[in-house]
Amino acid sequence: MHRVTLLSLASLIAPLALAAQRPPTPPPAAQPTAPHDSVRGAIRAVDARARTLEVTTGVGYALRVVRLQVPASVPITDRKGGSQGAPIKLAELKPGDVIRAAFGGRATGFVAYTIERVGRMESTP
Amino acid sequence: MTRGWIALVAICSAAACRRPPQPGEPLRGLSAAERARFDSGKVVFDSAFTPEKGLGPLFNGRACASCHEDPVSGGVGEEVEHHATAFHPGGPGRACDELAALGGPVFQDSVTPLLRAALGIEKEPVPPQATAIAERTSPDIFGRGLLDAVPDSEILKYADPDDRNGDGISGRPNRFLDGRLGRFGRKAFVPTLREFNDGAFLAEIGITSPSVPDEGTVAGKPLPAGTDPAPDPELSAHSLELTDAFVRLLAPPAPLKQSSEAHRGSEIFAQVGCAGCHVPKLRTGDNPIPALRHQEVAAYSDLLLHDMGPELADICFGLATPNEFRTEPLMGLRLAKHFLHDGRAKTPEQAIQMHAGEGARARDLFDSLPPADRAALVAFLKTL
Repeated sequence: MHRVTLLSLASLIAPLALAAQRPPTPPPAAQPTAPHDSVRGAIRAVDARARTLEVTTGVGYALRVVRLQVPASVPITDRKGGSQGAPIKLAELKPGDVIRAAFGGRATGFVAYTIERVGRMESTP
Repeated sequence: MTRGWIALVAICSAAACRRPPQPGEPLRGLSAAERARFDSGKVVFDSAFTPEKGLGPLFNGRACASCHEDPVSGGVGEEVEHHATAFHPGGPGRACDELAALGGPVFQDSVTPLLRAALGIEKEPVPPQATAIAERTSPDIFGRGLLDAVPDSEILKYADPDDRNGDGISGRPNRFLDGRLGRFGRKAFVPTLREFNDGAFLAEIGITSPSVPDEGTVAGKPLPAGTDPAPDPELSAHSLELTDAFVRLLAPPAPLKQSSEAHRGSEIFAQVGCAGCHVPKLRTGDNPIPALRHQEVAAYSDLLLHDMGPELADICFGLATPNEFRTEPLMGLRLAKHFLHDGRAKTPEQAIQMHAGEGARARDLFDSLPPADRAALVAFLKTL
């Protein structure tokens, strides 16, 4: 009887202890989900006012366009031509720029987490 | 007598070992494991897909070997497919839009019964935004592993975009969307053989894979529900790798022994300037596969873009303008039944005479040759 009581007590405490070890979970809407995908491709269109970006990418002839929302807080950096990653504005990105972007899915579509300009689609980039 | 037979068998075996690769055979010098992957890859290459196994809903062929089939798997095909893009030079965006948001650049000519029933279409419609539609024949793919193994630096050393040497030839590289050097496809858009193969499973057969996990659209619109019942990915990573091994390890057909006429033709080929773009030999670099490592490949191409004039112009692709095409590799030319990117030339002579732009000078010199010299040059081409 005594053993049963101890086991029951342990089974009640264990989940509480485990939960106490986990970091607190922020509300889902506020959490920037981990990058579930990344893309490297050529910018097709930039709308600085709507803060959106279209990137053409793909494998061989199987091409697709990824549309990204770019919140104002998203870091955009320039590594073109070996630059050290100086911050640039969304409006400075141009069609034909080659970028690398990390992004995640939201109910409203894909949202960029980071954007790096790494080059330009030119014969001599 | 027995000893004589043994000697005869040994001589024949040795001769067979030295025999140059025939179309469809693997490169010489493969390990047993590489040969096994080549053989297994051929099985996937030859496999015909059904809608239940993932075919479509949009497709051009049911198998790789549906289009690369003559005289053996990996060879040429009679099929002609359609690519479309939009070219807007001088506009605010990139000059070339591959129409990726609208189903491009490959617009498939066949649909599965389920898609036909859902949309009432017989092929993927080309959107009105397209400025050109191109026809593309199926080339042979022998020796493409060797082309893949050529370092970028080997290709770029032939680039002369501003024609600084004044020879009228100004090859320039194409670039993929991520800035890497392109080399595969009629416009040299795709950087690697692996990507070309992986992308072709989706673009040509409608097969998803770990490399290309999502079905495309129908001219930019999502597939109607229930038209693609096979679960994704429809091809495993292992099958993808085996197919790549088969294509990568296919040997280029060895050139035929040259007659004295053909030998003279090879010299004329260089004299009239064909070799300015159709560079006879490229050299591969380091490679994990010994049979591809530091090899000389008789590509007869510089893998660069050249302006071929307005008559041949069709679509843009990447940096390639409608006028620009990659120098077509001539290895295996004797197997071709049609010539040029869309098969419009029925003979090598016609193909030469349709060269313009950067090829105009060589074409004019060819035309001015005595008939015997023209015949010699064509005899040489037919040995490749």
